[in-house]
Amino acid sequence: MTRAEAVALVLPLLADDDIVVAADGAISREAYRAHDRSRTFYMLGSMGQVASIALGLAMTRMERVVALDGDGNLLMGFGGLALVGGLRPANLYHLVLDNGCYATTGGQPALSQDVDLAAVAAGAGYRWARRCLSGEHARGAMEAWLAAPGPALLDLAVDASDADPAPRVPMTPEEMAARVRAALAVDPE
Amino acid sequence: MSASRRLDALLAAGVGFVAGVPCSYLKTFFAGCRELPLSSFLPAVREDHAVAACAGAWLGGTRAAAVMQNSGLGYCLEVLTSLHLMYHVPLPMLVSDRGDPSDFEEHRILGQRTRQLLDLFEIPWAEARPGVEGDDASWLVAASERERRPAVLLVGKGADS
Repeated sequence: MTRAEAVALVLPLLADDDIVVAADGAISREAYRAHDRSRTFYMLGSMGQVASIALGLAMTRMERVVALDGDGNLLMGFGGLALVGGLRPANLYHLVLDNGCYATTGGQPALSQDVDLAAVAAGAGYRWARRCLSGEHARGAMEAWLAAPGPALLDLAVDASDADPAPRVPMTPEEMAARVRAALAVDPE
Repeated sequence: MSASRRLDALLAAGVGFVAGVPCSYLKTFFAGCRELPLSSFLPAVREDHAVAACAGAWLGGTRAAAVMQNSGLGYCLEVLTSLHLMYHVPLPMLVSDRGDPSDFEEHRILGQRTRQLLDLFEIPWAEARPGVEGDDASWLVAASERERRPAVLLVGKGADS
């Protein structure tokens, strides 16, 4: 299963009012291409902060917040994992699309090949954390993850190949933020 | 009323979420934070996570403030530039003003360039004045909202109240 296929598989499983934080780089672009939604925040920079942005949302909103993260991204901001595990917001759902490398910068290997991210999440205090190694079982694993008590983390293995790259999201950063806030009825449209 | 007049002033100015990493110059402020509801205070492990969580809270409609030692600005810089400045996210920040020549040497190199660093990224700043916490908080929130960017109140030794 490619990362893009995993992104396309998870988005239709979410509720309409779920708030999504999509990691900077390929994950945001693939989320936009597969299923754009006004309650998705597309990150462009600030690598390592997917869980922390999701945590700020989860602590202050009632809806479920879904963090679509990458393995390199999560490793860069490992402190964010400790914050989620320590504060334990029940409405935070963390999906790591784990290709074991830094795909967009040339496929350099990442430490996720040796570090068990689900075990770290469980140790940090997530109420549910599992690893899924097979694309064949990805859908069932996602359903189990979304039905589990939060905060829940699914570390899903995906192919390292980066064929058919998705184009950049055609919105300015300001438009991206304004659209999420309008969808959350914070600012008028 | 909390233990901190500065915290009370920020709450009165509409702040509903605080995230930060402690500094000994901000002991009183953090003592006040411990009285906040669990969903309103994030005791962050590093300053970049604090400001990122504030951006998340702001996306969801809660005015959020970050609190830290000025050394933490270094950890924050990538997030402040590629999240807050790029997406135009307002962020009131309380930052301790460490690094004068009598301070410990680990505070001096970044501490003595704090104002230059903020000026370089066109982040408005002011020095906290004891006794006028309400005015300080109003300025801080208004400056960050007006320019939709981070704004900093520098809290020197003795200005934590």
